[in-house]
Amino acid sequence: MKSSNEVVVTGWGCVSPLGGNTESTWSRLVAGEGVRAPITCIPVEGCRVTDGAEAVMPDLDWLPKKSISRLSRAARLALPAAQEAMADAGILDTNGRSIFPRLEMSLSTTANGMELGEEFLKGVWAGSFRHQTSRVSRYPAHQQVADLQQNLGFTGPAMVVSNACASGANAIGHAADLVRGGFADIVLAGGFEALCELVYCGFDCLQALAPDQCRPFDTNRRGLMLGEGAAFLVIESAVHAAARGAKVKGRIVGYGHATDTHHITQPEPTGAPLETCIRRALVQASLQPADIGHINAHGTGTPFNDSAEAAAFARVFTGNPAPRLVSTKAAIGHTLGAAGTLEAVFSLLALETRRIPPQIHTSDPIPEVAGWLARPGEVLEKPVVLSVNLGFGGSNAALLLAAA
Amino acid sequence: MRDPISILAVGVSCPGGTGPAALEAQWPSRRVSQITNPAITREVATIDLAAEPFNRWRMRPRLRRASPLSHHLIEAVAQILEARPDIDLSRVGLVGSFFIGCLVYSVRFYKGLTTDGRRFASPILFPETVVNTPLSHVVSELKIGGPVYSQTGDTSCWSTALRTAALWLANDDVEHVIVAGGEEFDPVFLDVMHSARWFGSRPEAGVSEGAGAVLLGKKSSQALAHITRIVDGFAFRNRAQAAKAAESLLAEFDPVIPVADTPANWTRRLAAKPLSGRMLSNCCGVPKFEAFTATCAWNTIRAVHSAEPRLVVPFLGLSQQMGAIEIFR
Repeated sequence: MKSSNEVVVTGWGCVSPLGGNTESTWSRLVAGEGVRAPITCIPVEGCRVTDGAEAVMPDLDWLPKKSISRLSRAARLALPAAQEAMADAGILDTNGRSIFPRLEMSLSTTANGMELGEEFLKGVWAGSFRHQTSRVSRYPAHQQVADLQQNLGFTGPAMVVSNACASGANAIGHAADLVRGGFADIVLAGGFEALCELVYCGFDCLQALAPDQCRPFDTNRRGLMLGEGAAFLVIESAVHAAARGAKVKGRIVGYGHATDTHHITQPEPTGAPLETCIRRALVQASLQPADIGHINAHGTGTPFNDSAEAAAFARVFTGNPAPRLVSTKAAIGHTLGAAGTLEAVFSLLALETRRIPPQIHTSDPIPEVAGWLARPGEVLEKPVVLSVNLGFGGSNAALLLAAA
Repeated sequence: MRDPISILAVGVSCPGGTGPAALEAQWPSRRVSQITNPAITREVATIDLAAEPFNRWRMRPRLRRASPLSHHLIEAVAQILEARPDIDLSRVGLVGSFFIGCLVYSVRFYKGLTTDGRRFASPILFPETVVNTPLSHVVSELKIGGPVYSQTGDTSCWSTALRTAALWLANDDVEHVIVAGGEEFDPVFLDVMHSARWFGSRPEAGVSEGAGAVLLGKKSSQALAHITRIVDGFAFRNRAQAAKAAESLLAEFDPVIPVADTPANWTRRLAAKPLSGRMLSNCCGVPKFEAFTATCAWNTIRAVHSAEPRLVVPFLGLSQQMGAIEIFR
């Protein structure tokens, strides 16, 4: 990077299985609560595993009922999270519309409004034309973009990255790149993901779903738990934030991304591509591993992911004090395209409150990170947090976030 | 974008063959029935992956079960690397833009789990339904070592992908970026477009598949052409807004620069008014088949090879936003 534009975060918002906004989610997360229950929002009968983490769906009482009925489940998650972030950053007017008529977006999702696509396919195979137009028009990701723009009152460029489970970190990193590169002064970055039958059955058929609790970095880990949610951040240049008198809540100081060509669904066992990402982010931030106080890990709870990830962490932090490590997926599930954005918000909240969410459900940690896992009530001692994500297709991304 | 970027090489895989010349060839086509109403047929031009010159990837172990989209993309990207063996693959990024994505295997996977039962869903098919899987295959087979983004959206996400490339180059993240647009055909897509009422006023319109790719670098004297402006983010939600978006988009460019007309584009008629006042180039006039982001890539490549020294190439998205680039030769 040759630009020196400082990238700051001035607002955030989220919807998760723990709560319909940031405050309720964070208070339950740091209290060590988790969600796991039978899935009821999509059909999963016949699957090997039928539990997961459904989001707390906000009421959206600020929208007309007719508008709500037209939204995909993904849009119903994205809208309140984006609204909360924009309100937090002070960029909504008294009517709940953006004060910036053009506001660039950098978004992530993997399944769009998939439940509508599934209903469309069933309709096609049944020879039915009923409701097909609305289903097919509301399914794609760019319709969730349009939902955000229409209901929050702005227009402008929108990039939707779909790099599997690393997408959320990519969306935030891309937003930071846009600001650093002088391509944008302010960007609304976010990710959203709703549970759907196709993806749930996909992970079930891969036998990647945990039959009981998700236990990240545990020697007895047996898989992941799927979840859903959304998180948004308002990212801008420090100059732009200062000019409009916005309060800086955090900073994005480093971003690294790389592609692992080892296997389509498994990470390279040594975690070397992830290590590359982390080191690139450190170089961009001009920081050392010793500066990092906490890692929000990808930590899916699958045998392959956690061992590769732990190996990468062990190498990066060799000779340094071990940062406090947590995978919040044990609490809210793996939210795929939203995971990186939710975990970035959790990282920023840790920096703001100096509290680290405890690692739940892990009782026998693997040797590489034994002693690293965060316990209840731990305090963040250093002003930098690392958040990493890995995805199918070899997507790897690392974000370095710093206190305001 | 801060600085102009150069188009250094191009690659094409289309029903007419491989390479840019195939875009001007006669494309083989056939009538395909819609699933919901088999009496309705549409003209479709597809790629036969078993036939030469497309079949050179079929025996690669990782690509044996890969989606048609993966094959279209790797062919287009490989042509670029064959044309420029001098570039450092570890410093090449790849950005893909997709409107439909991995449709064939997604439909097949979902059909399987809804007919055979969820417990019998295919673990082989599921990874191939993931949007970024095709580019993962491409970088793995061709040893591309830089960052990779799979971007989705309506057809205008091609211009968004070009902007991502410009950003990576401006930030010195990479030395070169390949931007690829690709789509694959499945018969269910005819029902998609029928339900979206896109055939309503264009019963003669045809659907196609394939990929196009461009190699981008910082401004170079060896360039085929330069991209001097990328403009995107003109959003719309209805026909009236689309007409206004087209007007605003074209107003961004010097009115003396010709605009590449895109008659195969299904939003073209909504942009008729602002286009009527512009000098039009017909370099993107044939064929009549629409392959969405692949068509955007092909139109960019046609513009590169056109006789016009300067040209605006619009990417009129189907349902959400519009973008355009200015090409200088």
